[in-house]
Amino acid sequence: MDNANTRFDPDLIHAIFKLVWSRTALEREKNEGADPLECEVGAATSKKNRPTSANANALKLSCELLRVFVIEAVERAATIAEAEGVNKIEATHLERILPQLLLDF
Amino acid sequence: MASTTPHLITVDDDDEFDWEAAFREIDVACQTTKPSISCSDNNKPRLSKQSTLDNFISPAGAVPPLENWDTLDRDKSNLVGDEGLCCIDVDAEAAKTWIYPVNVPLRKYQLSITKTALFSNTLVALPTGLGKTLIAAVVMYNYFRWFPEGKIVFAAPSRPLVMQQIEACHNIVGIPQEWTIDMTGQTSPTRRAGLWKAKRVFFVTPQVLEKDIQSGICLVKYLVCLVIDEAHRALGNYSYCTAVRELMVAPVQLRILALTATPGSKQQSIQNIIDNLHISTLEYRNESDHDVSPYVHNRNVELIEVAMGQDAIEINNVLLEVIRPFVIRLCAVGVLQNRDLQTLSPCDLLNSRDKFRQAPPLALPHMKYGEVEGYFGALITLYHIRKLLSSHGIRPAHEMLEEKMRQGPFARLMSKNEVLWKAKCLMQQSLSNGTPNPKLSKMLDILIDHFKANNPQNSRVIIFSNFRGSVRDIMDALAKIGESVKATQFIGQSSGKASKGQSQKVQQAVLEKFRAGGFNVIVATSIGEEGLDIMEVDLVICFDANISPLRMIQRMGRTGRKHDGRVVVLACEGSEMKGYMRKQANSKTVRKHMRNGGMNSFNFHSSPRMIPHIFKPEVQFVELSIEQFVPRGRKGKDDHPIQAPISTDKLTNVETEVLAKYFGTTGKITWRPSLIAFPPFQAFPTGVHKIPHSFRTEILIDMMQHLQGLSFSGNSKTFFVEGEVSTNEHLGVETVEQYDKSRMGNITFNNSNGLCNKPCVFRKDEASMDEHLAVETVEQHEESRKDSIIFGDSPKAQPIRELSYSEESPIRNTKTKEKHSMSSSQGNNPHVHSYLFGSDFVSVDTLGNVLILSVPLIPSKEVSHSKCASASSSMLLNCLKQDSCHSGTSQGQHKGQSMEEKAVANLRTSGQARCTMDETLLISKLHYSLGQQEKKLDGVEEIVQTPILKGSLSHEGDTAVETLVANKTPIFLAAESSDDIGDTDLSPRLTNLIKSGVVPESPINESGPSNGRPRNEFLVPDLVSPAKVLSEMLLTGKNEKVTLDVSTSGQDTLNSPISNGMHSPILRPDISAKARGSNPSSPIVEEVKTPLANLTNNSCSKDWHLSSGDKSASVKQERKFKRLRKYGDTGQRRNMKSMKENSIDPSGNLAETSSIIPIRNKHNRGKQKPVDNVRAFIEEEAEVSSEAEVSDDEEDDQNNNSYDDSFIDDRIDPTATSTQAEDSRSDMMAIYRRSLLSQSPVVRQPNFSADFSPCTLAPMTRITETGSSLSKTTYSLNQSSERNTVSIQINPEIISSEAIPLTSVSPRENERKLESRKRKLGIYQGGSVPAINLERQFQLEAASKESSLQHQAEKIETNGDVFYDDQFYEGLDLDAVEAQATMLLRHKSELFTQKQDPQSLDLFGSPTFDLGI
Repeated sequence: MDNANTRFDPDLIHAIFKLVWSRTALEREKNEGADPLECEVGAATSKKNRPTSANANALKLSCELLRVFVIEAVERAATIAEAEGVNKIEATHLERILPQLLLDF
Repeated sequence: MASTTPHLITVDDDDEFDWEAAFREIDVACQTTKPSISCSDNNKPRLSKQSTLDNFISPAGAVPPLENWDTLDRDKSNLVGDEGLCCIDVDAEAAKTWIYPVNVPLRKYQLSITKTALFSNTLVALPTGLGKTLIAAVVMYNYFRWFPEGKIVFAAPSRPLVMQQIEACHNIVGIPQEWTIDMTGQTSPTRRAGLWKAKRVFFVTPQVLEKDIQSGICLVKYLVCLVIDEAHRALGNYSYCTAVRELMVAPVQLRILALTATPGSKQQSIQNIIDNLHISTLEYRNESDHDVSPYVHNRNVELIEVAMGQDAIEINNVLLEVIRPFVIRLCAVGVLQNRDLQTLSPCDLLNSRDKFRQAPPLALPHMKYGEVEGYFGALITLYHIRKLLSSHGIRPAHEMLEEKMRQGPFARLMSKNEVLWKAKCLMQQSLSNGTPNPKLSKMLDILIDHFKANNPQNSRVIIFSNFRGSVRDIMDALAKIGESVKATQFIGQSSGKASKGQSQKVQQAVLEKFRAGGFNVIVATSIGEEGLDIMEVDLVICFDANISPLRMIQRMGRTGRKHDGRVVVLACEGSEMKGYMRKQANSKTVRKHMRNGGMNSFNFHSSPRMIPHIFKPEVQFVELSIEQFVPRGRKGKDDHPIQAPISTDKLTNVETEVLAKYFGTTGKITWRPSLIAFPPFQAFPTGVHKIPHSFRTEILIDMMQHLQGLSFSGNSKTFFVEGEVSTNEHLGVETVEQYDKSRMGNITFNNSNGLCNKPCVFRKDEASMDEHLAVETVEQHEESRKDSIIFGDSPKAQPIRELSYSEESPIRNTKTKEKHSMSSSQGNNPHVHSYLFGSDFVSVDTLGNVLILSVPLIPSKEVSHSKCASASSSMLLNCLKQDSCHSGTSQGQHKGQSMEEKAVANLRTSGQARCTMDETLLISKLHYSLGQQEKKLDGVEEIVQTPILKGSLSHEGDTAVETLVANKTPIFLAAESSDDIGDTDLSPRLTNLIKSGVVPESPINESGPSNGRPRNEFLVPDLVSPAKVLSEMLLTGKNEKVTLDVSTSGQDTLNSPISNGMHSPILRPDISAKARGSNPSSPIVEEVKTPLANLTNNSCSKDWHLSSGDKSASVKQERKFKRLRKYGDTGQRRNMKSMKENSIDPSGNLAETSSIIPIRNKHNRGKQKPVDNVRAFIEEEAEVSSEAEVSDDEEDDQNNNSYDDSFIDDRIDPTATSTQAEDSRSDMMAIYRRSLLSQSPVVRQPNFSADFSPCTLAPMTRITETGSSLSKTTYSLNQSSERNTVSIQINPEIISSEAIPLTSVSPRENERKLESRKRKLGIYQGGSVPAINLERQFQLEAASKESSLQHQAEKIETNGDVFYDDQFYEGLDLDAVEAQATMLLRHKSELFTQKQDPQSLDLFGSPTFDLGI
């Protein structure tokens, strides 16, 4: 993981992002289903309905952040696992470091 | 060109040099230019000159570039022009070759054209789709190479084309994208100015080029190459022409490469282009040329003649009727020659009108001019409508007519023309009938047939129409024909009345979608005719035929690019058909002109060779590696595409299983990591890899610790929040609290209560120590302790409250304490208890003060007479308490008061000093101090009342007095330190401390460092103060111990406290490492820890050194006094020595964490061995607990250890001094057990945490520490046993003989306790990995120190007695292993002790003390 060349594929990340965005958008629509009129009126114009997109550099940055995040998570979990004398990182190891990890990022 | 004119003037030997030596291009240029333009004439001589120059340069081997030669040799007057040339350097190495890419299959015509274009200004006339762009790209690339600073411009007439060409050029030759930029009108001029400077290859629109040249932001002098795409536009005043004119006026030599598929429909227009662009060579190929034909795809051009519809014919006839009278009138005037209404065209009319305007017929009166003009205008409009009618249908014609009828001269003239109205009605009728346009229906047929024959997915069709109106008609028609046709329009930007234009963005989107297959039919106006490179187009329909052959060729060029294409021209019978035929014939003649490079038909201009003649570039075929083009719109131009590694590795079965396990393929039950699964882990910082813990994480940790009640940090936090205690104090308090808590087992206590309880306990312990010193019974102590523990909650809470209230609290506390003591213990005990409580109160007060940290707190502490130390630290408070106790015991209230007064005075003095420092603070402090003093005095009185002094107590009282003195000094120091701290940065420090304290409290050593640096500064003062406090504390502890052991223990404690204090501050700033080092200050640990500490905080160590030095000095004095008084002869000397040593040690520890410290520690230990041992035990336990609790927080451990040490020392001292050992034994044991029990869980957790904590260093240090602690504990056990003996011996001296056994018992008990602790620890450790490490280390150490261990073991055995046996032996086992580490220290200490021994020979304890110490 320390290999600087190994990165997340931006396309993959973008695809994931889009997936999440579309889901959230759907949820939002559900939640805002009360006023369908508005939706119809501004179907094409309202920014709300425009799909979120990511700038290329933002995407790149996201990939890097994710990379760092994953590395950190794995390393921390690994230390826990090592301390337990286990060679394999289990989910429990991750759970142990997760709260602080999330707060660190 | 301008630069060449002077040449002409100076040198006009044109014909002397022939072009033999000149290069072919130049020759051609010269020859061709001869006849025509003046410019060419000017150039000729120069060219010849150049060639001749070249002739005699090359033999001479002259290196200077041609341009320079020129200037120097001939044209000194024309420096300006030559400067422009000079500034472009030729890369001599690159100029040896020119590169032709072979990434795409080589085409001979491209190669030859490229070769020509490299060395002369060339107009490339290549049919569409034959790769003009490649030629341009290769030329650009080579100029890019040859002229490292030269700038290259590629001009294309529209933005889409610019974008298309920049990508095409990049894909052909791969000019690095960081050098290329596209600039259109959308780029702001200021930005363009920067780009002109920064970039080297520009893809621009001609308008931008023109403007930038005119405004001067284009660095004209650096231009070396200008590529003009769609050069047939370079007519008239088009931007191409003006730009080139500007460039020619400027003294610039540059290569011009013009590209077009359709140079012109007439010979003259081609000549104009050649003139405008200063072309030297025309490279013309057509589809039939032998070198081109293989690459030309078959293109079937079908001309379909469409009969006009019936309606249209009718309307046409009506229109002709409208037209006729006007034509007749014009003819009558003699302005119009042609009388054939059918064949007249708007063009003819325009020409006639122009003629009329230039030379109106003489016969015509002036009055008629306007009338004729009106007729012309009307006729032109009518013919236009007629043309529309024939070629596009009725609807456009009708719209045109309607528009014209609405306003303007035409409306005025024709509004009453009935025939026209009739025509209009016919149109409307026909439109309302919905009669289809025959062209439209024909076109639809063609389209349907086409899509039947071709896959609609892959086939692309472009329909060209000249008018937007007809585009709309076509779109309407296409909408009806079904699914297979997905059509869209592609029109220009301008918005007319009828239709809204498409923005360029929309245009781009349309093209992209068209390429991708979203549309398969585009209906385009002329905007789609040029340059669009869409490979898949296999059908082009020209909806109107009567257009210029240029445009027809361009239209046809849209297809047949990749494979065969088909062009359908829909021509309406009649005029349109005729016009089409005429224009086709026209274009054929033009082609003839262009044969053979057009040499016979056109006049060419000369052009510079650009590359000096000494360079004769050879063609080099290179396969260029071209990076993927990154469109600017989507991704930053400068950032390279991310090479997305395509992971070819497939998941192994195991991995797949894991995935299936956690991300079940069902998707319904996905494993979600729990954030609350391991709350205990969140109380301690996890090890980090590269990302340090954030502030929020620290908050989380603190909060978790707080919630779990385990953590010291939580207590400290609460303290901070409540009282704003100084970090050092907090640390001490925290550690104390932790210990107390562990001992108390009151984990459930609130933090505040726990904190209070802890300090109270500490103080109680101290008080117990004092009491012991005062020869109080061990039982009482134990009871008191128990009581305190039991009652602890309430009293502690009370003290806290009192603290918060500050004024009445002490009294109440004392009362409550007394009550408790009364209730719990006997009469004596109550006294002790009261003392303890008093001390506790004081400590509490001090704690409160400490919490406040501000000066006022200190004064308050001071007020509590001996407890004035509290201001500086709880240690001082303890000392004061001890003193007070001593005084109370020995001298009584008066002495205590006097002492207190002295202390107060001192405090006041210090306070005054502080006041000078900070008036406001001082005042407040004074007030506080006064109030507190009163309270304290009350408390003291109470204490005095209660205490029952023993004989020994008087001695102790003396010592206490001494200690008081000593305390005063420490107090001063502490006060000073506190003052300094408070004065300097109370609020910031407090905040910092709080923050840091909160964070560091929990064991985040790692996280500490990052935070520590910034905080270190703040900490430094704090640290100093804490160190002082600690030293004071130590001193007090020593004083309490009056006996050598006590002193030694005090020293040890001092060391430890100092170290702890140091640690605590350090820890807060991330001094954890140092803290660790200080913790090790107990010698064994020190070695291991110190290095780490050093590594972590050098600066801190320095600060600490300073502080330690001060502290040590103060401590020395105090110690001396105390020791002298207490021990008198032998004890004093030893004490002094030990004190000195101790003092040195702390400093040494501070300064030299690793090497020096251990040695000194050893010395100290040697003297203080018993104490050290005890402390070591305590420390070990504490460490274990702390370690267990805080994985990484060595600081806490250290603090705990120090506190433990202090406690232990106190206990030991009391035990040693006290005679109530027996009774107290059980109690003590119970207490210890409780504490152990309480600690044990904590320890377990800590151990786990340690295990988990990934920090290698930290675990190592911990292990080593634990090992050392274990060894220490063992030693301490031995020592304690020894001490017990010693203490017993001492006790007899000081106290009664009875006391001796008791004391001995008590130490034994302590030892037992220690042992039990050790055992527990050992068990825990054994269970945990670290324990193993520790054991190993211990073993190693043990091997080296076996001798010492043996000695100790012997002593222990001797001392062990029945009491100790079980625990002791168990402890010994562990200890034996562990003891080895301490052995070295002990040896040293033994040496010291040996020295001391003779002095204290009588008291067997002295050697034991030494050992213990």
